[in-house]
Amino acid sequence: MVTLSINGRKVELEAPVTILEAARKNGIDIPTLCHHPALELWGGCRMCLVEVEKMPRLQTACTVRVADGMAVHTETPRVVAARKAILEFFLINHPLECPTCDKAGLCALQDLTVKYGAVAGRFEEGKRVFPEVVDDPVIVRNMKRCIMCTRCVRMCDGVQGASAIGVIDRGAGSHIEPFSGGRYNCEYCGNCLTVCPVGAVMSKLHRYTYRPWQMEKTVKTICSFCGVGCTLRLEVRDESIKRVSAEYGDGVNNGLLCGRGRFGYEYADSPERLKTPLIKRDGRLERATWDEALGYAAERLLEIKKSGGGAAIGGIAGGRTTNEEIYLFQKFLRAGLGTNNIDSIARLGLLPAQKILEGVFGQGAAANLISGIPHSEAVLVVASDPTKLNPVMGLEVRAAARAGRKVITIGHVDGLKRHRTHRLEAKTGPGQETLIMAGLLGELLKVKPLTGENPGLEDAIRQWEKTLPGPDEVEKAAGVAASLISATAADLKEVSTSSIIAGRELASSMDMRTNMLLLAALGYILNSRIFLISEHPNEQGLIEMGCSPDMLPGERPLEVSTFREKYEQAWGAGINPEAGLTLMEMIEQAGASIKALYVLGEDPAFNLPARGRVKEALGRLDFLVVQDIFMTETAAMADVVFPALCWSEKDGTYTNLEKRIQKLKKALVKEGIEDWRILAEIGKRAGLPARYRNVSDIFREIAQVSPIHAGLSFESIEEGGLLWPYKGKPLVYSATPYSAAQSSSVSTAAGGLYGPWAEAAWSGAPQAQNGLKLVLDKPLLHSDTLSTHSGALMDLMGGPEARLCPETGSKLGIADGDAVKVSTEQGHISLKARLESGLPEDALFISNNFRGAGAFELFGYQLEPESKTPVLTAQNLKVERL
Amino acid sequence: MSEPGMVVEGPLAGLEEIKKQYPTERAALMPALHAAQREFGWLSHEALAAVASRLNLPEATVRSTASFYSMFQGKSTGRHAVRICTNVACMVLGAEGLLAVLNGLYGLAPGQTSPDGRFSLEVMECIGACDKGPSMLVNEDLHTDLSAEKIIEVLETYE
Repeated sequence: MVTLSINGRKVELEAPVTILEAARKNGIDIPTLCHHPALELWGGCRMCLVEVEKMPRLQTACTVRVADGMAVHTETPRVVAARKAILEFFLINHPLECPTCDKAGLCALQDLTVKYGAVAGRFEEGKRVFPEVVDDPVIVRNMKRCIMCTRCVRMCDGVQGASAIGVIDRGAGSHIEPFSGGRYNCEYCGNCLTVCPVGAVMSKLHRYTYRPWQMEKTVKTICSFCGVGCTLRLEVRDESIKRVSAEYGDGVNNGLLCGRGRFGYEYADSPERLKTPLIKRDGRLERATWDEALGYAAERLLEIKKSGGGAAIGGIAGGRTTNEEIYLFQKFLRAGLGTNNIDSIARLGLLPAQKILEGVFGQGAAANLISGIPHSEAVLVVASDPTKLNPVMGLEVRAAARAGRKVITIGHVDGLKRHRTHRLEAKTGPGQETLIMAGLLGELLKVKPLTGENPGLEDAIRQWEKTLPGPDEVEKAAGVAASLISATAADLKEVSTSSIIAGRELASSMDMRTNMLLLAALGYILNSRIFLISEHPNEQGLIEMGCSPDMLPGERPLEVSTFREKYEQAWGAGINPEAGLTLMEMIEQAGASIKALYVLGEDPAFNLPARGRVKEALGRLDFLVVQDIFMTETAAMADVVFPALCWSEKDGTYTNLEKRIQKLKKALVKEGIEDWRILAEIGKRAGLPARYRNVSDIFREIAQVSPIHAGLSFESIEEGGLLWPYKGKPLVYSATPYSAAQSSSVSTAAGGLYGPWAEAAWSGAPQAQNGLKLVLDKPLLHSDTLSTHSGALMDLMGGPEARLCPETGSKLGIADGDAVKVSTEQGHISLKARLESGLPEDALFISNNFRGAGAFELFGYQLEPESKTPVLTAQNLKVERL
Repeated sequence: MSEPGMVVEGPLAGLEEIKKQYPTERAALMPALHAAQREFGWLSHEALAAVASRLNLPEATVRSTASFYSMFQGKSTGRHAVRICTNVACMVLGAEGLLAVLNGLYGLAPGQTSPDGRFSLEVMECIGACDKGPSMLVNEDLHTDLSAEKIIEVLETYE
């Protein structure tokens, strides 16, 4: 216990914090400029000077820790005089262009000058001059205004870990710049903008368009881009988002954002947004009224149900839909149309991956807190790059590295290249992670004893141990040094807690089961919290709300009759006991057993592999309904299109990758009907009673029927969201009575789960993978095609690129910037080549974001037999210079 | 990043030896920048980027460090870098007169390179040889007790 006095007031503290923290905790404000709670201490601006009795000189409150018996005075005449003098120094150089500065009203220097009084400057020399740098698409640098608090540099170095900017030159010439001196070559998180106390770095998106005090409202909501579920503040004026920001302390992201979240909001205001319902008449989509469209869609779907049965209809949902929408969607399909042909984009990896992990460890196996990552003694990142896919989660891995934790990357994980202890990457590029994980597991088993906690799993691990490849074999096939694998294992020997992060890449593989079981085994031995990367904001919700052919809401298996009966009772309709078709099966069956599809917020014609075949299949349907915010490729083929509202225009909930349920808040009032209402209206026309007044009513129904959501209400979701395991009952597979009746996929019957493990081990020697490979690229600044409707993101990355390393480039005779034609047996696209050092050899990275040149034009697929996950293939890959 | 045991040839090959002498790559930054400057004469953006990549350090950090110290040249220089101290001790002992000599003889002005590309002149704030001023550095050689005659004599040994 520390007792001190601040301004004569007695203050008691548990731990010795800084004077600044002690004062702020007790409601006493001490002005600061260079201090920021998220950043390393600096003590450079001297604004926080305070008088401490018995100390001769003034002290910086932000760096000096309190001591017992200390007497601090924060506003004595001496302190005020010192602060005034410091402001005078700042204003020697800081230009007084407040009338034209966007920061006016939010500027800390301005506020302090108001507080301590304007000073008649005594400095006779001129102000230092730097030209404003406007050549970057989103960030404007005005170094005349910079007060050298270095908050931006400390943010970029110490928190973002990008280290893209630095203080250049010295003395009065000091200024902050990226390496290039002009345009930034950075991750465009914009977190520097959040911490700049003055107008030295500003966003270009809203420059000169408003004054901060003219903002009509600020709405805290959840980001629409990925599964981290960052809290955003939407600053709104005239029913349009003017700025997206986040403050220290906000949400799981603690005020940090990535480029997509911060600069990607413009799609909401895109003129290309769909505004009215459309009905296809004589081969053309024409405007229709809501009544017409809803009536027509319901009528046609019921007709098809009547003639072909419910099984002739299918539904596909995307990962940006809310829990309430997905719940109504699957309810409408199951209870209204009698079909279990329901699946989503989570099929591409998250769902099958999670299912296997939950089979081993129980429901919620991958529900862990992102904030715990830096506290792990080691972090393993496998095959996927969290710094690109879930950028703010990636920051936690970098934080772990900075805290001296061991960070091990397996596979190509570019975003951690300066933050890893060991890099286990195959020379031949992605695809050898299975082998590397197996090699590491073998070495770990040699040095780390099993605990006996999970006998079933340990039996399987011991059985498999005999067949695991030795490090020499891994070296031979994948080019990862055997000594490096052993050294990594040795380094992990003493680790008692760890985190493992893996993504879709591991699951969309013919070795999916092996991969996930290896991951589970590594997780078990290393006592890991496992995180599954989720590329969409509500991919987890798709799983929890029953948007899959064999699971009811609450992830209850459809085949268990007691579960089914409960839902039948609640919905007042029978549920087909047969599991439905999965995502790709529905597409393959289009025109055959599937006659109609309802697509909710997804673009299968663009976002699925073998695009040519998918489009052909969709063309064979009798009836296609699409609900979306843009005229996607799928929508263009639809018979009925419903214009959806986007994430800033509706209420609802998203469940992030931690299984945290968070509220989405309506910030803008836009013309149109909420998505849930469209679904409820169609459902009503199909005979489902819908007594919902708002999303809260839907949530209440979810809480009534879904055991994991039992006892929750929409109103009870506060800031910070609801954390798993909520209040309800998770399934523990090994303890549930239905386990014997389970299919092999989640069975725990002897040999059921672990049997295939042994079989899935090593059939034959590890294979080296040679030759050019196509890799699905996932750019940091784009997300599906949605982000291509955001001007700022397009300014940063405006078109498709084929990325390859310079060595491969020269082998193929391709130079940076060359136009190339890439073809496979599936099709061909033309795009620009980009040579980047650090990429694996013989790998060609192409993303699926840009219309006309998406990677899924090139990828074919093969279904993984157990999960029916499409595994990407690229036969006859060729690259030519155009 | 270079793997252990890898043989590096070509530009900046010497960095591998330097790296071995320091506990972290960051600690090797200053010596690496000196080595790069010796090799290329000055630190271009390309040179800084190469050092950053060799040391697995952020480019911005490398540039920030290089731009802070006056010993590192951010622009192309003559064949020999002449650094004359004009701080108090040297100035009292006549350093300013030496500047005039250099200007007259070689057309050298502070911050500039002589028209023949032979010398560049940098005015320094103390090079730590106050007891023997006026003093100067030519490349990495220290010359002290300079006079108008001696400075010419010394510089003429640099081609």
